[in-house]
Amino acid sequence: MDKPILGGIRVLDFTWILAGPYATRVLADFGAGVIKIQSKKTAQDVEQNNTGYFNTWNRNKRSVTLNLGHPEAREILLKLAAISDVVVESFSPRVMTNWGLTYDRLRKVKPDLVMASLSAMGQAEPWKDFVGYGATFHALSGLTSAMSCGLDVPICLGHAYGDTIVGLYAALAILAALEHRDKTGKGQYIDLSGYEAVCTLLGPALLEAAMEGEGKGGLSDMLIKEGQGGFEGCYRCLGDDRWCVIAIFNEEEWRAFCGVVDQPELEGEKFSTVVKRKENQSELDDVISRWTMSHTAERIVESLQKAGVPAGIVQNAKDLARDEQLAARRFFIPLEHPVLGKTISDRTPLAFGRQEIKDWKAGPLLGEDNDYVFSELLGLSEAEIRSYVEKGVVG
Amino acid sequence: MLVLDLADEQGSFCSKLLADLGARVIKVEKPEGDPSRKTAPLPFSYRNTNKLSITLDPERREGRRIFRKLVKKADVLIETFQTGHLRKLRLSFGFLKRINPALIHVSITGFGQTGPRRHYRSCDTIASAFGGQMYVSGSPSGPPVKPFGQQSCYTVSLFGAVAIFLALRERRLTGKGRHIDLSAQEAVASTLDHVMVDYFYNKTITRRQGNVYGNKGFCILPCKDGFIQITILQNWETLLELMTSEEKAEDLLEEKWKQQSCREEHFDHIMEVVGHWTKNYTRAELFELGQAMRFPWAPIYSPEEVLNSPQLAARQFFGQTERPGKSSSNIFPGLPYKFSSFSPPPPKAAPSQGEHTRQILEELGVSSKRIEDLLKMKVI
Repeated sequence: MDKPILGGIRVLDFTWILAGPYATRVLADFGAGVIKIQSKKTAQDVEQNNTGYFNTWNRNKRSVTLNLGHPEAREILLKLAAISDVVVESFSPRVMTNWGLTYDRLRKVKPDLVMASLSAMGQAEPWKDFVGYGATFHALSGLTSAMSCGLDVPICLGHAYGDTIVGLYAALAILAALEHRDKTGKGQYIDLSGYEAVCTLLGPALLEAAMEGEGKGGLSDMLIKEGQGGFEGCYRCLGDDRWCVIAIFNEEEWRAFCGVVDQPELEGEKFSTVVKRKENQSELDDVISRWTMSHTAERIVESLQKAGVPAGIVQNAKDLARDEQLAARRFFIPLEHPVLGKTISDRTPLAFGRQEIKDWKAGPLLGEDNDYVFSELLGLSEAEIRSYVEKGVVG
Repeated sequence: MLVLDLADEQGSFCSKLLADLGARVIKVEKPEGDPSRKTAPLPFSYRNTNKLSITLDPERREGRRIFRKLVKKADVLIETFQTGHLRKLRLSFGFLKRINPALIHVSITGFGQTGPRRHYRSCDTIASAFGGQMYVSGSPSGPPVKPFGQQSCYTVSLFGAVAIFLALRERRLTGKGRHIDLSAQEAVASTLDHVMVDYFYNKTITRRQGNVYGNKGFCILPCKDGFIQITILQNWETLLELMTSEEKAEDLLEEKWKQQSCREEHFDHIMEVVGHWTKNYTRAELFELGQAMRFPWAPIYSPEEVLNSPQLAARQFFGQTERPGKSSSNIFPGLPYKFSSFSPPPPKAAPSQGEHTRQILEELGVSSKRIEDLLKMKVI
């Protein structure tokens, strides 16, 4: 394919940090012209262009600097919107409204515009103005509580999982809206709630909680039910903070497992059926741990998998960077950055072939594309642009 | 859009995302039914809303013939078979695209269809472990902990839905479908946020930190009635003022705490002192207080409490499914997005096993006599 899938689609990107940028990165990866609206004032901390974090989530995008506090900057933006297909923003709901950049206003200049607003709680009271990120949604959705079942103090999920999920939902909604536009010629306003996005990941737990009377179990029952009647465990292995996971779902796998481990204790009455293994889980875990602690996770997983037993290494960042499966599939890709040098990021599981990736470029420098956007796309003269810079409209 | 769903839990959420947006999704189950109907009924009913069900055995020759008729009409096929299985049945993409060159065929497996681990057995826990997610969660002195629920399945399913729309657009341009090969391990690894960034740029290996997250950005502290997740370092001055006004600042008023570096180095002590302060409040009080100051504070809610969220009620996030069952819930989590010029279909409960077999076969032009024969042969 010569033309990338989203070639010709222009996206105005007001998003920041992770969730919104993740969505627009998917679009940019597949050829959309994504223009990040930044400004010197707001490009601070994690929004600084020359950091690894920014570079990771903002590859393949362009950057312009516009100070949207200036009414003239908003005029420029409206001109841009008129030649764009998608607008994505992740501000608190008041912000775009205060700037007069609502969907109603924007679609006057581009009737078939697709606009996506990613907010913490959706564009609705009572929590409309609440602030939230992925971690916030983990807490509010029941995810933190459910994964901390049985612990004295709840534990945090160690990464901003919720933010990537929000980003994926946003990308999905935008692509679906573009598909709808292709069929009907109509634009779309998408009102996405980060809180709700993470709640969808707790579906079965919410269903369970809503049940009354019969069939309703506690959260730990739910854990067992989600585990589909087998047993799973995480076991310490030889080495510093090395662990493996073993998951056995049927008798065949159990027998294969016993064959590899070769401990007479495992073959006993106590562990001979699924039910008995559950009843004696903690004793079983002890027996298994004694075995795993004297072998490396790599050796354990290789020998178990060879025998047809599901097992996995609990990999850390270093393991992932060296993972031979990920390397074979070229999951991590290098991109050259003018300031950071050689940088590495993951391509996401969306591998459509080498052709997309060969055109990929690192994240933009701040305002790198001011000339391209203001001069080439909008046809502003050099004098006009200079005047805007002087007035602080651009910059 | 017509979607054929032959997926297990790794992909059933993917077709649900499409069904909930109005796609016609046919779940193709073996005549004995999807095993998770029995082993995991609630996850099953959650992941299979708005779908039709046909029982059909594509491993039988007669079943394959019918399956091929379905493929001819389909836009998308989603499956989660072990790598190589479909090729043995002559139903892999290479074969199916000859029947339908516009077919978008999504394969979801633990590690993908290529690479040294392509035949490894997988499940959610294994994807979560190999994908780097487990290592970073849990107490520092305890084992790695997996998130609740089969998160790798949801994640790879979301990527799948995005991939399908990309492929649909591509098909508009080229007329051709494609094979999409998704790895659950890669899906998990894609959600690690700062973890790989910190490794690639600083060679830092992120470790689990218990009730702390994100470089001491967030932490979980006790309240009168449970726990709250708050931010401390980002809003230090304001928080200290507040605590001081209530005479709860303890030794944090000392000179040394004015240094950011000191606060970071002795964060445990800060958490201890702030924890004394939070213990005087209910979660609701601190939630309101924090949010009023625009801090991303949030109570740790149980799933029951989520059901009672006034925000989710105002957004009508929970719908009712069309078919109330005896021991199943009517209340149903909905979609996290609202569209201005599109109304998603109302949530319809997951279909019963083979509920639409006859209807779909008739649509395919299979005669009643033939249907009876296939039933007798247990092909359907």
